[in-house]
Amino acid sequence: MTLPCYPFTSSGAARRQAADRTPPLRLDQGRGSVRRFLIALATLFVVLASSFCGLLAMAAAGRAAESAVVTPATARAGALLLKGATPGAYVEAPAVRADYDVTVSGPTQRTRVTQAFVNPGSGWIEGVYVFPLPENGAVDAMRMVVGGRVVVAEVRERAAAKAIYEQAKRSGQAAALTEQERPNMFTNSVANIGPGETVVVQIEYQAPVRRDGDVSSLRIPLVVAPRYAPAAAGFETVSDGSPSKTARGGDPVPDRDRVTPPVRDPATSTPTNPVTITVRLQAGFPVATIESAHHAVRTEAPSPDRRLVTLAGPVAADRDFELSWTAAPATAPSVGLFRERVGDADYLLAYVTPPAAKAAPVETPREAVFVIDNSGSMSGPSMAQAKASLAFALGRLKPADRFNVIRFDDTMDTLFADALPATEANVARALRFVDALQAQGGTEMLPALRAALNDPRPADERFLRQIVFLTDGAVADEQRMFDAIASSRGRSRLFMVGIGSAPNSHLMSRAAELGRGTFTHIGSSAQVEDNMRALFGKLESPAVTNLSLTIPGGAADVTPAILPDVYRGEPLVMALRLPRAEGAMEIRGAIGGQPWRETLNLADAAPGAGVSKLWARRKIDDAEVARTTAALTPDKADAAILRLALEHHLVTRLTSLVAVDAAPRRAADALLDRADVPLNLPAGWDFEKVFGPRAPAAPMRRADLVEPVAVAAAQEVSLPQTATDAELRLLAGLGLLGVALLAAVARRRERGA
Amino acid sequence: MTRRLSLRTALVAVLTLAGLTLAAQGLWIPAKAALAQLLLDRAFARTLSEGRPEKAWGWADTWPVARISVPRLGRSTVALSGVSGEALAFGPGWAPGTPEAGDDGVAVYAAHRDTHFAFLADLVVGDLIEVTRRDGRTARFRMTGARVASWDRSGIDPNAAGRGLALATCWPFGARVSGPLRYVVEATEIEDAPVTASAERRP
Repeated sequence: MTLPCYPFTSSGAARRQAADRTPPLRLDQGRGSVRRFLIALATLFVVLASSFCGLLAMAAAGRAAESAVVTPATARAGALLLKGATPGAYVEAPAVRADYDVTVSGPTQRTRVTQAFVNPGSGWIEGVYVFPLPENGAVDAMRMVVGGRVVVAEVRERAAAKAIYEQAKRSGQAAALTEQERPNMFTNSVANIGPGETVVVQIEYQAPVRRDGDVSSLRIPLVVAPRYAPAAAGFETVSDGSPSKTARGGDPVPDRDRVTPPVRDPATSTPTNPVTITVRLQAGFPVATIESAHHAVRTEAPSPDRRLVTLAGPVAADRDFELSWTAAPATAPSVGLFRERVGDADYLLAYVTPPAAKAAPVETPREAVFVIDNSGSMSGPSMAQAKASLAFALGRLKPADRFNVIRFDDTMDTLFADALPATEANVARALRFVDALQAQGGTEMLPALRAALNDPRPADERFLRQIVFLTDGAVADEQRMFDAIASSRGRSRLFMVGIGSAPNSHLMSRAAELGRGTFTHIGSSAQVEDNMRALFGKLESPAVTNLSLTIPGGAADVTPAILPDVYRGEPLVMALRLPRAEGAMEIRGAIGGQPWRETLNLADAAPGAGVSKLWARRKIDDAEVARTTAALTPDKADAAILRLALEHHLVTRLTSLVAVDAAPRRAADALLDRADVPLNLPAGWDFEKVFGPRAPAAPMRRADLVEPVAVAAAQEVSLPQTATDAELRLLAGLGLLGVALLAAVARRRERGA
Repeated sequence: MTRRLSLRTALVAVLTLAGLTLAAQGLWIPAKAALAQLLLDRAFARTLSEGRPEKAWGWADTWPVARISVPRLGRSTVALSGVSGEALAFGPGWAPGTPEAGDDGVAVYAAHRDTHFAFLADLVVGDLIEVTRRDGRTARFRMTGARVASWDRSGIDPNAAGRGLALATCWPFGARVSGPLRYVVEATEIEDAPVTASAERRP
C-alpha cells in the first residue's frame, strides 16, 4: 500500500520506448489481449479492494486500542497535555468554564459558582480544578449536573467524603468532591467525565460585603497564583516510615502536591478557563457610584438602591474581580444590624463605624519597618506598584519618626542595622535602595517576617511600632507565617499591603488580624496613591481601642471573641448567636483617649439571609486562630471546627462536600486518567521569573505532572489540512493503467508481427 | 526475445498493480466519506435521543458532535470531534478549543473541499446555516462573508465576543494538490429567530 504517489517519470520512459517501436495503436489488432487484460484487471481490482478494506479495519482497530491517551506526535493544536497513568502517554487537559452569579443583599453576598468541566479528549478522565474563593466565604452547597440529572452533595468529614468519592470513581459512577486546601483555595474533583462530555458542578458560598468608610466592596478571586513552596529544611529522619505530618518539624508545606497545580505558559498558549460574572446588587441604600477596578462591565440601574452588573464579555480567569460601590451622600448608615433565625437561635451581624476622633490626634512618633517582596512572582507591574507604594510611604515619614527597610526574595537584606531617624539623607538612601530592586528568585518570606518582628526595644513607649509588609503573598507555607506572628508580635502592629492581580488574601487578612493591623489591596498602579493614602490615614490616626461589648442576658456567643482595635473609617464587624434577639447591646471603647459608646437595639435588626453561615464561618476562623496561638490544643480546635461545620453544612479544612450519581457509567475495563486543569498565570506575571527558564522545571513547579508538551495555537485557530488526494490518486492510477495497456498491446503486436 | 518479453510482462504486471491500487484508493476516499456519513447520521440521531456521545462504529476514535446543514442547498453533514486526518476522512471536524456552535465565541468546523465541504463554494452571503448540537439545540447562523487565509494565520479568535461560526476548507477549490491557503466562511448567530421546520427536530 505504500506506492509512490507520483510514479510518472518511470512510466513516461516506458511509454516512449514502446512508441518508438510500434506504429500507431489499432484496437482491432490487439482486441483479444485487451479483453484478457480487462478481465485480469477486474479480478485484481476486487482482490485489491477487499485487502484494502481489511487493512483499513485493522488499522482502525489498532487505534481504538490506544483509548484516551495521545502521544505528543498526535496531539491536536492548542491542546495542553498532561502525563497519564501509562508511561509515555498523555491526557488532554480538561477545560473549565465558570460562571459567577452574585446576589448582594445589604451586608452579605451569596454567590453561585457554576463550573463546567469539558473533556476534550476521547477517553474517560477525572478532572481536578484548583480554584480560589474569598477567604471569608462559607461554602455550604454543591450540586453536580450530569446527563440531565442533578445530584445534591452532602457534607461529610474530609476523609469519609474522600472515601465515598474514591469508591464511586472506582465503580464508574459520576462523582464530585469539593475540598478546602486553604481558606481561600479549594479543589473540585470530578470523576468519570466521558469522551467529549461536559459535567457541571455548582457550588454556593456566603460571604460578607467589605466596608471601609463609605465604600462597600466585594472581591471575587478568579485564579490561584502559583505559590512558592519552600523546601523542607534539612533531612528529616522519620522512624515509622510515614512522612512527618507536623508542619513545625517536617516539610513546611505538607500538602505541596495539592496546592501547586499546573500553570499554562502564556507565551505558548492562550489564557483559558473563561469566566462570566453577574452581580445583582441590593445595597440597602441609594447607590451613588459603582465601579469595577479591573474588568470592563455593563451596569443597569433598575432602581436607586439596585444595580445589575455584568462583565462586558467572557474573560480569562487571570485576575481578581473587584466591585466597589458608595452610598449617596448622607445616606450611609453608620450602624447596620441584621438578623436571621435558624433553629432555636437568633444570629446577628452588626456593623458599627466609630466616628473620627474629634480632638486633634496626639502626635506619637512612629517606628516604621517596611518589608518589600522582590521575588520572581512580583516581576512586572507588581514590582512597579510595590516600589511606588513604598516610595509613597517613605515620603509620608516625619523627621521625628524612625524607620528601616527590609527586602527579600530567597535571600534578604536589611537597609540599616537598626531603625534610624527619618532624616532627609536617610530617606533618600532608602529611596535609592528601593529603586534598585529587581524582582527575581524564590519567596522565603519567613526570615524577613522574623527580622521585621524582631523588636530591640519591646518596652519603648515613645514610638508606635508599625510593620508595613508589601507582598503578593504567593507562598504555600502560610501557617509558618501565622505561627511567627502569633509568637513574636509583641507591641508591633502588622499592616499587610497585597500587591498584584491575584494576591493571597487569606495570608494577608489572617496575618493582619493576628498582627492587629489592616489589609490593604493594591491591584493596579492607579490604586497605589488612593489606597496608600487611606492606609496612612489609618497609620497616623489613633485607633479605636479597648473595645468591649455588653449584651442583654449575657448569653451570646460573639465572634471575634476578643474585639480588635478598629482603624479610622473601618467598621467594627461582629457576629453573634443568642437565644433571642431582644434588648439593647452596648459597645464601649476609647478613641484617642476619649471614651466612646454606642447602643444598638437588637429588636430593630433587619432580616439578613445567610447571617448564620457567616457567624459559623467566623467561629471556625476563631478556632483556627486559637489553634495557631496555642490558645486551644489542636484536638480541641479541630473538634470545635468539625461540630460547627457539620451543623452549618460548611466546607472546611476538616469537612468536604461530596456528590455521587447513582448510575454507573464507565465500563470497568475502560481506563480513567487524572487530569489537573491547568491554570492561567495571573495577569502581569512573568512566567520565566516564576518558573525559571522555560526548559527545565524550577523548584515551584511539579515537573512530574506539569510538563506541557505540545502547546501551540496562540490567538488564532490553526486550520487543518482539508484537501484529499483522491483525485490525484485516481488520475495517477488511471495513467499507470493506460501505460500498462499500451505496453500489453504493443507486445501483442510485436508477437503477431 | 524471451528475456525481453518476460521483462515486459513483469513491467505490465507491476504497472497494472500500481495503477489499480492508486485508482482504488482514489475511488475509496469519496466512497468512504459518503458511507461514513450514513453511519454518522444514525449515530448522531442516537446521540440526540440518548443524550450522550455515541460512536458511529465500534473502533471509531471520534464521535459525532453536530449536524451542519444549509437549507437552501439541501446539504447536511454530521461533524465529528477533532480535526485529525482520521476524523476528516469521515466528516467535518470540530476544531478543539473552540466553543460549541451557539455558545459565546467562534465555533470552527473544517472539512475537505472535495467531499463534505465542497458546498462551501456555493454559499453566498446571507445564506442560513443551521447547526444542531449534541444537546438537541439548533443554533441558526447567517453567513456574513468569506475570505481566504493562510492555515496558520486564520485570524479566527475562538474567544471573540458574540456568537460566531466559521467553516473552513482548503483553497482553491479546483486544485489537485494541497496548499497553505484556506477558504473561511464566516457567520453570526441569528437571535430570536422564528421557529422553522428544522427547529422542530428538537427532542
